Amino acid sequence: MARSWSLRRGHASGSFPHPGTVSMQSAWLTLLLGFAIVAVVALSAWFIHHHADDTESATGPTVAESPTLIAGALASVRPSVTPESAALRVGLEYQPLSDAALARTSPLFGQAEARLIGIYRFIQQSKPREALREAEALALDHPNFQLAQLVLGDLLNLQTRPVKQLGDVADTQALAAAQQLQELREQSRRRLAALTERPPEGAVPSQFLALSSSSRHAIAIDASRSRLYLFENTAARSSDARGRVSAAQMKLIADCYMSVGSAGVDKRNEGDLRTPLGVYHITSSLDPEKLPDLYGAGALPLNCPNALDTQRGNTGSGIWLHGSPSEQFARAPQACEGCVVLSNPDLQSLLALVSVRTTPVVIATELQWVRPETLNAEREVFEATLASWRELKSAGDLAQLQRLYSPRFNNRGQALADWWPRVEDEVKGKGARAQQVKDLSVLRWRDQDDTLVVTFGEVNEGSRRGVTKRQYCMREDNQWKIMFEGTV
Amino acid sequence: MLPPTPSLPQPPTCRAYRLSSWRQLAAATLVCVSLGSTAAWAQADEYAEVNRLLRAGQLNEALAKTDQYLSSNPRDPQMRFMKGVIQTESGKSADAITTFTKLTEDFPELPEPYNNLAVLYAIQSQFDKARAALEMAIRTNPSYATAHENLGDVYARLASQAYSKALQLDTDNTGVAPKLSLIRNVFATTSGSKAPPLAVVAKQPAAPSAVVAAAPAAAAPAVPAAASAVATGGQPGVQSAVAAWAKAWSNRNMEAYLDAYAPAFVPAGGQNRSAWEADRKARIVPRSRIGVEVNDLSVQVNGDRATARFLQAYTSDILNVSSRKTLEMVKRGGRWLIVRESTGS
Repeated sequence: MARSWSLRRGHASGSFPHPGTVSMQSAWLTLLLGFAIVAVVALSAWFIHHHADDTESATGPTVAESPTLIAGALASVRPSVTPESAALRVGLEYQPLSDAALARTSPLFGQAEARLIGIYRFIQQSKPREALREAEALALDHPNFQLAQLVLGDLLNLQTRPVKQLGDVADTQALAAAQQLQELREQSRRRLAALTERPPEGAVPSQFLALSSSSRHAIAIDASRSRLYLFENTAARSSDARGRVSAAQMKLIADCYMSVGSAGVDKRNEGDLRTPLGVYHITSSLDPEKLPDLYGAGALPLNCPNALDTQRGNTGSGIWLHGSPSEQFARAPQACEGCVVLSNPDLQSLLALVSVRTTPVVIATELQWVRPETLNAEREVFEATLASWRELKSAGDLAQLQRLYSPRFNNRGQALADWWPRVEDEVKGKGARAQQVKDLSVLRWRDQDDTLVVTFGEVNEGSRRGVTKRQYCMREDNQWKIMFEGTV
Repeated sequence: MLPPTPSLPQPPTCRAYRLSSWRQLAAATLVCVSLGSTAAWAQADEYAEVNRLLRAGQLNEALAKTDQYLSSNPRDPQMRFMKGVIQTESGKSADAITTFTKLTEDFPELPEPYNNLAVLYAIQSQFDKARAALEMAIRTNPSYATAHENLGDVYARLASQAYSKALQLDTDNTGVAPKLSLIRNVFATTSGSKAPPLAVVAKQPAAPSAVVAAAPAAAAPAVPAAASAVATGGQPGVQSAVAAWAKAWSNRNMEAYLDAYAPAFVPAGGQNRSAWEADRKARIVPRSRIGVEVNDLSVQVNGDRATARFLQAYTSDILNVSSRKTLEMVKRGGRWLIVRESTGS
């Protein structure tokens, strides 16, 4: 007994920061791993403190409080909020993992994640027993939640030896599954980052210039954080008869971990294992009974390739938001063939809420969060263009109307000259009646081009029913030009 | 688990899944069982006889003796405990589990039956049950070092299982591996310095234990002086054969390892040769690390036959166990080959 404990203690003091150097070590690790290291440092500090006198004691592990060490370790790993920090740059704000903060972090999604974070918090509070008990319960409920199993392994090992890092597995296991281990650590890091770097109350992703009241929900995905954000549209009726709209009024009601393609994002070609970036819409909901196990609890296909993808010659279809296979509760940050993958419970929550065809899905490398009012100026510039379009079309001034369309116009391969007769027919068909635009949504997508994805209802005066139209407008010479137009 | 430090004097211990021996229990139960001194002496004789039979490997006789005793003293905790140990030793795990379980029900204040129950569960890879039993053992006796150490090993196994699930590696079925070592090792086990020295230790050549343990494994041929005195001619060949065998095992070199056994080798427990070889492969190959140290080697040579006795310290990624080992060897074609391998005495 004495021999093994003295060896273990020697091991601990050799591999771990001496209490006096915890802060320096931790600061260094913070740079590398970010907040995820909190758990590990806290564990180590607990272990060092707790096992310091085991040579003399045969009574085995008992919970020992070491507030000073833990507090010191935590203080030094808490991300410092500086103007340069990546989270602040994109409009997120730091929020510590407190009970109140987690309660605000909606419980609609991510029950399993909330439990995992609860375990991390027990570790933070140097309550390894409670952490172990909760980890066992979580692993029992979700045996396929690999990250929970990894944390459970660490907490079990902590009963007898120090834990150096998250997933302190035997070397052989680390070698046999190096990638899986790295992915689990990354998953943990991203989940923690998403829960500590939060959008401020009322902030929206900068893509949402306007959101029609016909869209009850909207989805935005931040691939760099492996996070899906679900918004409820709180606008009563956001556009009046003249098509004027107010700023998007969206309330973040849930967010959850998700995975993208194994080769990352920015899909160009069918089979490149990437998830497309851009503004998409859910087109349908597929019956999980008829899907292979890989798709889990269901699938929501997106309109990929969209008009912009087609215009650019990008291929790749069958991009879905879908669930997870039975053997994996959550997939690695980059795992599938180009879809957006959620855990099954999260997907089921999503299925229960969102309506098909009216839910926009923005997929970005990194979301930029802004106050909705800051988008007013940009939106108003576009609204002026849309107003001219409506007026010219109402007046039947085809020559002037055509000047609002881009030479790059492309409707499923049709150039403007080939497609134009449709507009002529429409204008003739409605006769002298004016047109109304209602239920306007404007989503902006900026990459090498500056594009607006515009969806609205077009109703002829005196008609009760109209059509839903979608236009893709591109900024050319500081003017918005219609690059695509079609009915939805 | 960390490899043992060869430089520290240490009694032979089984650092993983220590079975409690009856001796530990005896100290506790003799206090509980109030008997006159004569009766106590008679009883002690009975215990000694069962123990003698056990060590002689006469398991059936030992079991008969316990049953005979228990027919007139059905509640006696010490004899029931010994029966459980014999059943464990005989491979009757289910019977042993029943015996120890009933002991925990009748004497919930005794930690040892819980501990041995845990060992049996651990052998069956039922680590959750093993853990629960060890936690009960510790609850009854918070300073029960054996249970603490066993619990540590069970935690390590549970952790390894959780990691395997986390990394989606095939869960290794290596819980089987410790079985034989553990069972054979029952009576070579002590629990810290409080336990009396065991017979097997006392029978060692009269080398001070510090010297014995100080002989490092890598230097197995450097036999302590006391052992050398016992040995006769032909001994260096036997020593290097034993060292080569331990090295092949440590390196998980199955070819060299199996090559150390004579064609006439008789596996223990009535296994045939091919079943035994398959069994050994299944236990050795999957290990990520094995260390076999040979300490305190004594060799007796009689013509082309030899007996090597030593203290074997086995360490691996999942189990550390020390036990007495005897190899009976024959000389064939200039090589010393193993014909029998036994553990425990």
